[in-house]
Amino acid sequence: MSNPSWSKHLADVLRRNAIRMFATVPDYIVSHVLEHLWADPECRAVTVTREEEGVGLLAGAWLAGRRGALLMQNSGLGNSVNALASLCVASQIPLVLVISHRGDLGEFNPAQVPMGQATGPILDALGIRHIRPGSVADVETQGDGLIKLGYTRSLPVAIVLPPELTGGKQG
Amino acid sequence: MSNSLTRATATRLLAERLTREVVVSNLGQASLDLQQIADRPLNCYTFGAMGQCSSVALGIALARPDVRVVCLDGDGSLLMNLGSLCTIATVAPRNYALVVWDNEVHQTTGGQPTATAARSSLAGIARGAGIEKALDARTEEELRRAYDRIFTEDGPLVVSVKVMPGRAEGRLDRDVVGHARRFARALAALPASEPARS
Repeated sequence: MSNPSWSKHLADVLRRNAIRMFATVPDYIVSHVLEHLWADPECRAVTVTREEEGVGLLAGAWLAGRRGALLMQNSGLGNSVNALASLCVASQIPLVLVISHRGDLGEFNPAQVPMGQATGPILDALGIRHIRPGSVADVETQGDGLIKLGYTRSLPVAIVLPPELTGGKQG
Repeated sequence: MSNSLTRATATRLLAERLTREVVVSNLGQASLDLQQIADRPLNCYTFGAMGQCSSVALGIALARPDVRVVCLDGDGSLLMNLGSLCTIATVAPRNYALVVWDNEVHQTTGGQPTATAARSSLAGIARGAGIEKALDARTEEELRRAYDRIFTEDGPLVVSVKVMPGRAEGRLDRDVVGHARRFARALAALPASEPARS
């Protein structure tokens, strides 16, 4: 059973790691995190038209001294692959990806499934370390550790949000 | 109508005016011209992620509202990321100017025509996206006037500069990580000032 406080915990872990700049193409699941960020006057969340635009924007923000996170569905990971590879990975620019995982266990929409199954392999192919926190406790411990690792390595990292954490989206 | 301006001349006319501005340049020809003509630590060269140059510059402008940011994009690259114009219009940073070297071709790959060679106008698209200060510059005089506005007015501004096709001279220094680190350090060391003038 999903704990509805997961989104608040995730927003807090991001903010605790000094992330104040956010970009997003919203989906049903990450919108729960966005609500906390939009309500915080210290946070700036920009809605972009396509996820790779968010990669560019947050890479620029980091070069100018601000840490950023990109909130999106895994479909947006597909839209962002070249920007992540040839900008962030090539130039060693860190960025936290928060990716809601559609197309996996319990999925009702067949169109979501191929990207859902490809999400982990795409991140692996890019050398982007990722976690799948299954509980609020995992969000707090693994999420915090992953973000710190990302800034130590100076590379993107990804928090993939499984339905067992978020409750998923019901058809 | 043939274009009379070269990208190198247009880059030189910009470089003459630079003091504490950030310049973000598109991969390929725009970065090569900028490196050759006016290499400086506050230049942010991009080497990959075709289309993302205007977005990188937007992120810098949002993170440092006290610094004027001038982005040097290309027509082929901006056409890949037209949604960026909508985001720029929505966020509307006062310290942001997007200059597009519009040579109407994909220069780096051999000069294949882009959509601006036929019917599309980037300044027109920018206006449609909601950026009111969207200009065309076809002559040196028009370009000088456009730069006057970039350096004195609130943004966002978009200037589509019609330039002659042609490859830049020399070889690009592709120390990708080194240039990124040099830029980040230089910008961090730049003292904060009042937000870009109103």
